[in-house]
Amino acid sequence: MSLVNFTAREITCKIVYYGPGRSGKTTNLHYIYGRVPDTRRGRMVSLATQTDRTLFFDFLPLELGTISGFSTRFQLYTVPGQVYYNATRKLVLQGADGVVFVADSQARRLEDNLESLQNLQHNLLEQGVDVRTFPTVFQYNKQDLPPELILNQAELDDALNFRDVKSFPGDALHGTGVFETLKGISEQVLKRLAHNQPVS
Amino acid sequence: MRAVEPWVAAPMETFLAESQARLCLLMTTAGQVVAQHGFVRAVDVMGVAALGAGIVASTSELARTLKWEQFTTVVHQGPQQAHLLASFETPRGRWVGLVVFGPDTSLGLVQLFFEQLVKDLAAAAPEAPAPQPVLAADFERELNASLRTLFGS
Repeated sequence: MSLVNFTAREITCKIVYYGPGRSGKTTNLHYIYGRVPDTRRGRMVSLATQTDRTLFFDFLPLELGTISGFSTRFQLYTVPGQVYYNATRKLVLQGADGVVFVADSQARRLEDNLESLQNLQHNLLEQGVDVRTFPTVFQYNKQDLPPELILNQAELDDALNFRDVKSFPGDALHGTGVFETLKGISEQVLKRLAHNQPVS
Repeated sequence: MRAVEPWVAAPMETFLAESQARLCLLMTTAGQVVAQHGFVRAVDVMGVAALGAGIVASTSELARTLKWEQFTTVVHQGPQQAHLLASFETPRGRWVGLVVFGPDTSLGLVQLFFEQLVKDLAAAAPEAPAPQPVLAADFERELNASLRTLFGS
């Protein structure tokens, strides 16, 4: 849940990048880290294995700027995508204000995307979160791969985006769609704060 | 010292004075910072809070999996300084405290005064405020401008 400091006029929101293993969640954070000025971001924390697979989480704090008179900060987290790290995913998901679901656009990874999406919904429900209203956006990553290997945005929307939330084609390695995705989830998360949602 | 809500400040100031701790961070179990003393940059605090909350969460989960009593305190003793990481209940939900201290105090004293801090926070906590709108309805324009600045586009 967003943390609001009315005295200092500060807002802190937690956004979690979710999705199957190797879909590009960490790559999104690396790209953001590389583009944002030093003064507006903290150190990127990566708890990863020796082969750079996310073990616990990646974390990137961002100073977004002043919105409606509030200094606004975002905490970006990724979860480990591999199926057997579910206990860890649940811990990272705790208290999230919004989720970016990073799907792998490769046709052969469709089942993995579906499994991860079901896992997300299950974990949110377990935490008492109403998945029908929870801020979520999709990013269909790796759209730069040859067309014969991937599903396009419309096909992936049909397969994954049952709530018809915002979705963005992406190539996180080169930055395509990364900014748009962050903007999309930011709007949804902050919209809650503009409409009388409970904060802590 | 900075506190999100004013009622946290007095108990924490008392704790800092009595325990002689160097750094102190109070956060929610989701890693959101509630109060802090001794850190300079807010973004650095957020990184420490994320790691602290992660340690507490994984330790608790480990205890649950192994069917042990829940761990509430973790202590790491380094050569120059040590830290204590402890979770506790407040009227506002479960919080986590991270305290860094040096040789000018001791683990026993820090633990003693931390227990008092937990009691003082419970006594000082007012009723949770009713939900209220925080941002203006037209926040999107400012959000877009902030993101453009952030990404340099």
